[in-house]
Amino acid sequence: MFNRQIAQRIAFILISLTALLVILPIFAILGYIVAKGIGAISWEFLTSMPRNGMKEGGLLPAIVGTLLLTLGTGMIAVPIGVGAAIYLAEYAGDNALTRAIRIAIINLAGIPSVVYGLFGLGLFVIFLRFGTSILAGSLTLGIMTLPVIISTAEEALRAVPQEFRLVSTSLGGTRWQTIRRVVLPQALPGIITGIILGLERAAGETAPILFTVAAFFLPRLPSSILDQTMALPYHLFVISTQVPGMPIRIQYGTALVLLVFVLSMNVLATLIRRHYRKQRVW
Amino acid sequence: MQADMQAKIRIEDLTVRYSDGTESLRGITMELYANQINVLFGPAGGGKSTLLRTLNRLNDQADVVTQTGRVLLDGEDIMASGYDVIRLRRRVGIVFARPVPLPMTIYQNITYGLELAGVRDRQQLDTVVKRSLKQAALWDEVGNRLHEPAHALSGGQQQRLCLARSLALQPEVILLDEPTSGLDPISTGKVEQTLQDLKATYTIVIVPHSIQQAARVADWAAFFLQGELVECGPRDQIFTNPSDKRTDEYITGRFG
Repeated sequence: MFNRQIAQRIAFILISLTALLVILPIFAILGYIVAKGIGAISWEFLTSMPRNGMKEGGLLPAIVGTLLLTLGTGMIAVPIGVGAAIYLAEYAGDNALTRAIRIAIINLAGIPSVVYGLFGLGLFVIFLRFGTSILAGSLTLGIMTLPVIISTAEEALRAVPQEFRLVSTSLGGTRWQTIRRVVLPQALPGIITGIILGLERAAGETAPILFTVAAFFLPRLPSSILDQTMALPYHLFVISTQVPGMPIRIQYGTALVLLVFVLSMNVLATLIRRHYRKQRVW
Repeated sequence: MQADMQAKIRIEDLTVRYSDGTESLRGITMELYANQINVLFGPAGGGKSTLLRTLNRLNDQADVVTQTGRVLLDGEDIMASGYDVIRLRRRVGIVFARPVPLPMTIYQNITYGLELAGVRDRQQLDTVVKRSLKQAALWDEVGNRLHEPAHALSGGQQQRLCLARSLALQPEVILLDEPTSGLDPISTGKVEQTLQDLKATYTIVIVPHSIQQAARVADWAAFFLQGELVECGPRDQIFTNPSDKRTDEYITGRFG
């Protein structure tokens, strides 16, 4: 009896510790980055061009570049991804073609990001002659983001009760009317959450933009989608490894800006999901 | 008795099979009559729901493997290729066993079918909402809160809302698949009374949720057993003097 209670106590403590271990790194990383980087944050840091070999000045072109790339990625991945998800969830039967599509999506998700970068270089930058550009980078990031968006959107669509579709059909709804008026509105919160999580990952990636868009040092804002641009993750890589004598607080300040950008997208996704889950009737 | 009854739907040698073989119909030939409550009854798995869903071709969506024979609505074969299925579903409405309000307001639930059909006129929609809710005996209860979410209604109210939603399209035939199976006796009574009021205008085909209900509401009854139509006829004949031994055994409670 006594032994059993001790075993129970020990198991409980160990399991609680593992749970604690999961949240520890998040707070450790956040705390460390904030502590070392907060000193660099100023209005000038966020809104001015880098100067003096990036050792002074600000992050403006990198921030704008990452915003533009995130936007571009969304413009490519969202319509294609949501469209594919609607096809898979609402139209496709279980046949050789859809099985092939699903396998393709799973494999797409498993490809290392640096391989996407190389692929983007070969296809978009060189073969299609887009050059090292926002267009090529967005396309590369867009393809990388597709699997996330497709799988979360398909899941969200499938979660909408089948009965709603049957009722809509029985009232003379075509398949598309049913999707547009009943299924999509109900699945939208889940789809939006998936989109944000996908874009968040794209915003923080370095390898895919390495060969396709990112500029080492370009102290001006891009004027067309065929321009190169700086971007936060690559900029962080550059100032951390390629520039001797870089002040540490600028490195960590840059990391902090990237982290806040990505985490705020995460928080937004969580808020959207929570808001709509409260309103859901099924 | 039969001479003055007008056949609205004629089913000829209908056979339906699902791929998993669960529910199927074999060689069904029968008529369903206008301005009557036509009851399809029998033990579970007899093919009654499948037959209902054949009448507005909702089976098109399901896993039906073979479907042969003819179903004539006013003499027109609804299974013919090129037949306008959307129009058919507006003419033949259905109410399911479990009330499923769409995730919208009461008002939007009623107008959903009309808006799909392209009706946008606000005044016309208002009129239809009021008329349909009155027909379904729900107006008095929800008339002052039409713009509240439909799922907030009670189960009995939701089911009458589903009925009103079908009625909004002014169908000619209303199919009801165990519409009161989840309802309390008072709500059930309301729905049954509503059906009696509606039959003057509509052809009603109902799969009841019990023999008692079948006997209560039927004008015309058809007994289904394992995918076959055992017999059909006027209520009094089927429930007091059935010609087939199996019908007799079922209604006297020896099985089912």
